Amino acid sequence: MAHPRLTPRVQRRAALAASGWIALAATAFPGGSPLRWIPVLVFVVLAPGLALLLPQPFGLRPGARLEALALAAPVSLSVATLAATTLFLTKSFSLTVFLGVLALFVTVAALLPGVPLPAATRGAVERDGARSDSARGFPRFRKRRPGGGR
Amino acid sequence: MPSQPVAEGREAVEREAEPGPAAPRRRTGPAAALRTPDALNAALLLVAAVLWLWALPGIDFRSIEEFGLLDRFPLAFYAALAVLTCGFVLTLRRAGTAPLWPATYCAAMLVALKAPPAILYDTVRYAWASKHDAIISRLLTEGTVHPGRELSGGMSAYDQWPGFFSLDAALVRAFGVDAAASFINWAPVALGLLTVPVLILVYRTFSDDWRLVWTGVWIFQLANWVGQDYLSPQGFSYLLYLTVFAVVVRHFVLPGSAGALRDRSALDPAAASVPPPTTTRQRAVAVLFLVPVIATINASHQLTPVMLCASLFALCLTRRYRNFGLLVTAGLIMLVWNLTMGRELFLDTLGTLREKAGDLLGNSRPGFAGDPTGPGPELVGSANVLMVLAVGGLAAAAVLLRRKLARSALPLVLAAAAPLPMFAVNDYGGEMIFRVYLFGLPGAAFFAAAALVPATGAASRAAKIARRTTAVALPVTLVALLAGFLPSYYGKEGMHYAPPGETALTRRAFDRAPEGALVLAATGAFADSYYRYDHYERWFFTEQEVDENLRMLKDPAGYLAGGIPAGRPAYVILTPTQGEAVIGEGYLPEGGFDTLREALKSSPLFAVVEEGPYGLVLRYRPTTGG
Repeated sequence: MAHPRLTPRVQRRAALAASGWIALAATAFPGGSPLRWIPVLVFVVLAPGLALLLPQPFGLRPGARLEALALAAPVSLSVATLAATTLFLTKSFSLTVFLGVLALFVTVAALLPGVPLPAATRGAVERDGARSDSARGFPRFRKRRPGGGR
Repeated sequence: MPSQPVAEGREAVEREAEPGPAAPRRRTGPAAALRTPDALNAALLLVAAVLWLWALPGIDFRSIEEFGLLDRFPLAFYAALAVLTCGFVLTLRRAGTAPLWPATYCAAMLVALKAPPAILYDTVRYAWASKHDAIISRLLTEGTVHPGRELSGGMSAYDQWPGFFSLDAALVRAFGVDAAASFINWAPVALGLLTVPVLILVYRTFSDDWRLVWTGVWIFQLANWVGQDYLSPQGFSYLLYLTVFAVVVRHFVLPGSAGALRDRSALDPAAASVPPPTTTRQRAVAVLFLVPVIATINASHQLTPVMLCASLFALCLTRRYRNFGLLVTAGLIMLVWNLTMGRELFLDTLGTLREKAGDLLGNSRPGFAGDPTGPGPELVGSANVLMVLAVGGLAAAAVLLRRKLARSALPLVLAAAAPLPMFAVNDYGGEMIFRVYLFGLPGAAFFAAAALVPATGAASRAAKIARRTTAVALPVTLVALLAGFLPSYYGKEGMHYAPPGETALTRRAFDRAPEGALVLAATGAFADSYYRYDHYERWFFTEQEVDENLRMLKDPAGYLAGGIPAGRPAYVILTPTQGEAVIGEGYLPEGGFDTLREALKSSPLFAVVEEGPYGLVLRYRPTTGG
């Protein structure tokens, strides 16, 4: 029976899926300890966004890496805010529920295909063209996609 | 082929690409490695870091006088900032090949500028941050919000837009700390670090020239002096607003709309090609992706959704970004929130629109007060005006002179101009002018950078002159903007830092007052002014027109006694921070606060409860006078 290969992409997805549960486990450390707040902060600020943007069938194209990096934090914080607001509005907030909901969200999102924002997949065509030029420090023309832009 | 040090790899690529007669002389060994641009960048960064760390303990924030922190920063602090500016300008020469260096310098500048209070202060910086701390603490105590409950001083609005505070409350619990106060002073650094990548994303959409992009980011950081970057719903929503804008300009180009902009010769040499068009399905996916972000903006802040809709509407004026679907989605989410959670304030605001609408001059006035008094606040006022003029002037020059760039980056121009009509609608408690500036800033900073970073490649005489001029103008302007940022951001620090003794006095005074008491203070701009705010009513009695304050100063005790409802227990808290604030905001003339303090202290209508270097607490005793 063939085992799934632990490619870097699979490892990344696994790390993302596990990150929430690690953050939840970290809350067992005493309050204010760096061993507690650092994993929690990193998870809440980055994981939900990365779980939505990172898993692309062919990996992120060069043009989309900056985008995934830049959007990860605001998207993550949005998801966390909506979760926290809903829990407070329904008077059901507790730390375990809050981190548990986020961890579950991240685990599921990490296993599913990422949000197909155009730059993550198709927009990469023109970025590929731009890469070799920009490596020399001179922005040049980008390849135009067939039929694109008209 | 001679061996080449690894550190020179990028350098060599660049040298090959550089035109010019000078053939590179290849050197090997550590001495050569030290002469590389990387080594120079690292050395300058190290020098700046050493100077900054050395200066840090010398920042005398405990004895702030009229110039805020400006005369409390040691020379080494200023030297560190100057070295960072020089280093940044040098990194721009290789911005395209080594983008990590300008990124590092931008992050370093952000930390150098905004981390000192986070590291040094032993209390919450800024009265409004302390107010937000109080809101988060209340949310944690109550476990929920009460959007329908009336709270004095407009505090119920925070229950109607609880998004950001819910996130903070959740983080307080997750970190296992007592209150948001333990991380609150780091918010400007954190928000800055999260905003910069989004800003780069926006700028990269309109320019392929990394020098322009990084200079824009740098100018944005320096011009962002309006102090909305503390732990606040507006600071957070601003990051989300930029996120929506970034996704829109990158992923919402309509097919067949770019027209002449697809022709490279129609573009400025520094401009990026218009992003590829997207199909209806792709745009629908992007709208779905943005819904949580837009919902969070609406759950967190009142004004940002309006600004977002204004910007999206402005973008709809272009053929390239005519996406009514997204505009309608954003409008619907705003309407739903305003008619459900935010109903009370929304209907209230609609009621006042009739009197405020059209009052352009009134709505663009900063605050209620008169002109700030004293050399410190006056310097801050002048620095603010000069900053606006400098950034606005440079941006306007670039829009006029680099019309091709303005045409391809039209969305940035429109987004910068979209908030302007807000002046016609509302004054937002005297804050509108700062908010309009803030929302106009991303576009303004980009074009200000375009004025300072001319395109490479053009060989005309004018282009050569422009390049030579800006080689001098760029560092000079960046230093000038830095010189403008510091008084704008730190010039009123006397208002923003309160020693622990003062906050302890304030909390004691509140704890002493019975439930439902009226607590008077000259202004609400002091730490802990909203401590346990749902238990008391507050009256910040100088926050009104200056003429009325001058009338009040003739007989302060009688004036205050006249405003206290009969039978209501009332206390007055006067702290040194309030003294700074009433002068800084121009509520009272110089010496007015001392007059007020002495008059209340000596009046038979008020009894001294506590007096010391950290403030004065008085209790109202109505029967004594009669």
